[in-house]
Amino acid sequence: MEAVLFYAFALLAVLCTLLTISAKNPVYSALWMIGSFAATAALFVLLDAFLIATVEVLVYAGAIMVLFLFVIMMINLRSEEQQGLRLSPLAILAAGTFLVLFGRAVSDLGPAVRARPNDLVGTAGALADVMFTRYVVPFEAVSMLLLAAILGTVVLSRRNAQA
Amino acid sequence: MIPLEHWLYLSGMLFTLGLCGVMMRRNVILVLMSVEIMLNAANVALVAFNKHLVATSPDGVSPDGQVFVFFTIAVAAAEAAVALVIAMALFRRLDTVNVDDVCNLRW
Repeated sequence: MEAVLFYAFALLAVLCTLLTISAKNPVYSALWMIGSFAATAALFVLLDAFLIATVEVLVYAGAIMVLFLFVIMMINLRSEEQQGLRLSPLAILAAGTFLVLFGRAVSDLGPAVRARPNDLVGTAGALADVMFTRYVVPFEAVSMLLLAAILGTVVLSRRNAQA
Repeated sequence: MIPLEHWLYLSGMLFTLGLCGVMMRRNVILVLMSVEIMLNAANVALVAFNKHLVATSPDGVSPDGQVFVFFTIAVAAAEAAVALVIAMALFRRLDTVNVDDVCNLRW
C-alpha cells in the first residue's frame, strides 16, 4: 500500500513538474506547479513529516504560488511572447550529465542506503523541541532574513526609485 | 518499505527537471519557478535522509533534516518575494520579461 502510494505520488510530482516547465502559458505553469507541490506534500506524509507537509501546502502551494500568479497577471504577457521549452543540445547535455552523475553517486552510497526507516514522527512538537533549542540562532537569523526581504521588496517596488 | 535510493532518485529527477527549466525557459518568472522546483527537490532528499538516519542516542532520532527543510522554505519565500519584485521592476523599465533581452550590466 505504501509503495503504491509512493510510486503514484512520485509519478504525479514528476509529471506535474514536467508540465510546469513545458507549458507555454505561465498561468498554466503556476497551476501545474501547485499540483507538483501538493504531490510532494503527500510524499512528505509518507515520510511521517506531517508539519513539513502542512507547511509545504500552506507556504509553497498557498502563499508563494499565489504571489507568482499575481505577478504573472500583472505582467500579462502578449500571447506571441509566450514560448515553451527551447530545447538546446547543450542544456540537455548538462542536465543529462547531472542525472547520470547523480545516479552514480546514489548507487555508490553503500551501507547508508540499506538503513531501515526510523520511527521519527515530524509533529509540530517534535520539530519545535529542536528548533527552539539547538537551532535557535539560525531561527533568529531566518527572521532577520525575512525582515530584510520585506524591506528590500518595499524599496524595490517604489515607483520612482532612483536608479 | 520504500528504499532510500528511490527517494533520492525522485529528488534527483525533480532537480534535473528544475535545472532544465532554468536553462531552457526564457521567461524570467518561469526561471524563478524552476529555481523553486530545485529547492523543493532538495527538501525531498533532506526529509528522506532524516527518515533513514540511524539513532545514536537513546531518545531516538532528532528531526534535524526537517528543521533544515523549514529554514529552506523560509529562505525560498524570501527569495521569491524579492526576485518577483525585481521581475516587476524589469518589466516596468524594459517592457520585457525575456532573460535574453536583459544583457546590460549598467543602465
